[in-house]
Amino acid sequence: MKALVCFLLLLLLLATLPSPTRSFEFPAREMADLIDQTCRLTPFYDLCISSLRSDPESGAADVRGLARIMAGSVLATASRTLDRIQELLGQAPDPETERPLAYCAELYIPVVKYTLPQAIEALGKGQLGFAVYGLSDAGKEAEECEKNLSGQGGSPVTEGNELVRNLVDVAVAIIEILQRSF
Amino acid sequence: MQNSPSHTNAPYTLLPEDPSPARPPASSRRPVKVFAATAASVVFLTSLVMLIVNQSPETPTESDHPPRSDPSVRDRLSYNWTNAMFAWQRTAFHFQPEKNWMNDPDGPLYYMGWYHLFYQYNPDSAVWGNITWGHAVSKDLIHWLYLPLAMVPDRWFDAGGVWTGSATLLPDGRIVILYTGDTDESIQVQNLAYPANLSDPLLIEWVKYPDNPVIVPPAGINPEEFRDPTTAWMGPDGTWRILVGSKVDGSGIALIYQTSNFTAFEAQPGLLHAVNGTGMWECVDFYPVSTNSSNGLETSVVGPGVKHVLKASLDDLKKDYYAIGTYDPVSDTWTPDDPEADVGMGLQVDYGRYYASKTFFDQNTGRRILWGWINETDTDYDDLAKGWASVQTIPRVVTFDNKTGSNILEWPVEEVESLRLNSTEFDDILVEAGSAVLLDIGMATQLDISVEFEIEGSDALEALEEPEAIIECATAQNRTTLGPFGLLVLADKSLSELTPIYFHIAKSTNGSLTTLFCADETRSSKALEVFKKVYGGPVAVLDDEKFTMRLLVDHSIIESFAQGGRTVITSRIYPTEAIYGAAKLFLFNNATGVNVTASLEIWQMNSAFIRPFPLEEM
Repeated sequence: MKALVCFLLLLLLLATLPSPTRSFEFPAREMADLIDQTCRLTPFYDLCISSLRSDPESGAADVRGLARIMAGSVLATASRTLDRIQELLGQAPDPETERPLAYCAELYIPVVKYTLPQAIEALGKGQLGFAVYGLSDAGKEAEECEKNLSGQGGSPVTEGNELVRNLVDVAVAIIEILQRSF
Repeated sequence: MQNSPSHTNAPYTLLPEDPSPARPPASSRRPVKVFAATAASVVFLTSLVMLIVNQSPETPTESDHPPRSDPSVRDRLSYNWTNAMFAWQRTAFHFQPEKNWMNDPDGPLYYMGWYHLFYQYNPDSAVWGNITWGHAVSKDLIHWLYLPLAMVPDRWFDAGGVWTGSATLLPDGRIVILYTGDTDESIQVQNLAYPANLSDPLLIEWVKYPDNPVIVPPAGINPEEFRDPTTAWMGPDGTWRILVGSKVDGSGIALIYQTSNFTAFEAQPGLLHAVNGTGMWECVDFYPVSTNSSNGLETSVVGPGVKHVLKASLDDLKKDYYAIGTYDPVSDTWTPDDPEADVGMGLQVDYGRYYASKTFFDQNTGRRILWGWINETDTDYDDLAKGWASVQTIPRVVTFDNKTGSNILEWPVEEVESLRLNSTEFDDILVEAGSAVLLDIGMATQLDISVEFEIEGSDALEALEEPEAIIECATAQNRTTLGPFGLLVLADKSLSELTPIYFHIAKSTNGSLTTLFCADETRSSKALEVFKKVYGGPVAVLDDEKFTMRLLVDHSIIESFAQGGRTVITSRIYPTEAIYGAAKLFLFNNATGVNVTASLEIWQMNSAFIRPFPLEEM
């Protein structure tokens, strides 16, 4: 009888223990959501994840929405980089520093003013080829800016240029997912 | 978040409606994960294949057969051209449509991040006819993407052809195009067109003003000699002016029309300018240049430090002439600085196979940019067989030459340098009198060449130079004491085909020396009926200057610039042997009395991959 009560108490105890969650049973990757699945198909997984998840709308977005969010990140980064360039120019640097910075500004201004906004709008209209062309162009201008600056060892704009290029690669990869689907 | 019901055969996009992490995993996720992995490797492999395909060099894909075409065309080719030879003639980085005929550049402009080029285009054949406005866009004046035709001859007022015209960007952001329509009765009228949707950065759709034409030939003007309206400029009274070229009694003239709204035009009583004996003025162009800076000027600019260039394409000679002068905005007249070198009598925009040029002000970068049409010099039958005709030059920046004060400078836009791949440098190569030096650079069909020459010991020998009665370019085989010397382009190793581009220093009978810059096409090809002549013109070489040349070699087109663009020659070359790997580059010196030394930098040039705009929608 005592054994039975003990057994039942044990069962009761076991029943009240919190059951292991499913994530304990299965590997964590099985929990992968659309953002995770999408970012796996891009060349910079961590960057993709952090960029997308920092946007509150990404959770409910489809792949097209994720592409738009990423393109928005490219524009935001390019704008910040241009601001930085113009800030440095405003500090009246010597001609040797000024020239490549001014060249970079010339490259970034149409990107921020026209190319990226048009790419984002094209995405919204389903014009994927147009969007890829614009995003790729933005990446090329960032690369060109960097090439011109790098003669000076450690440009303060380098971080921005690299981020723009990587974000472009991610955005283009996401759009290519869309292009493959049709 | 929505599924896309019309795309049910793509399971990837049909992931669960609620992707929040708290949702328990469904077993259906495993196949999706596998699919994702498969998709990723497919993407990788596809990208790899695409990369390899895109990077393969341009080699003929068809076997070396004669082209398939109408036998009557094939019988009349200028040579036994094969498909491989014709394919080689296509340029790698110059603008040309995928096929068929092109002529004058039209309405060039920059808008919302894109450069636009329109062009006279026959969608049906490789010879002129059924003329429409083709359309292409680019972010950098080099990498062009084809768009749908902008305008076709579908109204009575342009049924005979949508001919040449120009664009004006209005201060309020609107764009107007004025173009010549050849009416259904072969009368030349000027028509207005404008974008259907200014918020479309590609400006794909165009609207023709319903009440066209806005200008008809006036009394006293031949209705078949009244065409090619210019970009408008604003006068001191706030209204706009345009020019239309014409002819009266053998004089080429520029008629002025005034408007405030681009729909109602008033003919001005006077002419901007006229020059006796120059014949019909086509493609008139009129624009300001700054005399004290290298910046371009917007078309309406007037004032101190500004001169105006007046240019006309002479119908009788099929050459583009220009002159620099002063524009009086009050009387609307223009006077050349040198009346002896008036339009049609003095300087040519380009001394080669070049016509119908047109400039525009690039407000993006503040440059005045020049386009020019380069026709074929092979036969119409060749063009029909190969399926295409004509190229545009690489766009050139136009500035005033401050050092001479009497000409413009033209220089390829710096964006062309983005095509440069690897380079080879040669320093101080000695080229002895009467010799040629092969330059070992690998492929020699897509090049950007910068070269400077110095003549050794020329001072004492100047006195020996035989005076010439007529100072003009002759073939490179005309040897004199001091030259010619230069480059042999698209030459095969045995020099059975070659195109010399060179300087020739001539002494006139009064003792002064003139340098000529020349391109000799006479031995450029064994094909007999290809039009091969010697082109060129004088170029000022100042005391402190070496002899410098820049060449853009791109298969069947060569653009040659002397002394930083003081004199330019565009050539069309159709070798039968000196193609693909057989084409070589030499230095040469045909002087009898001096050696020259040459220093060069030569870049291999990439293709511009000109292709259709990726317009397809999801």
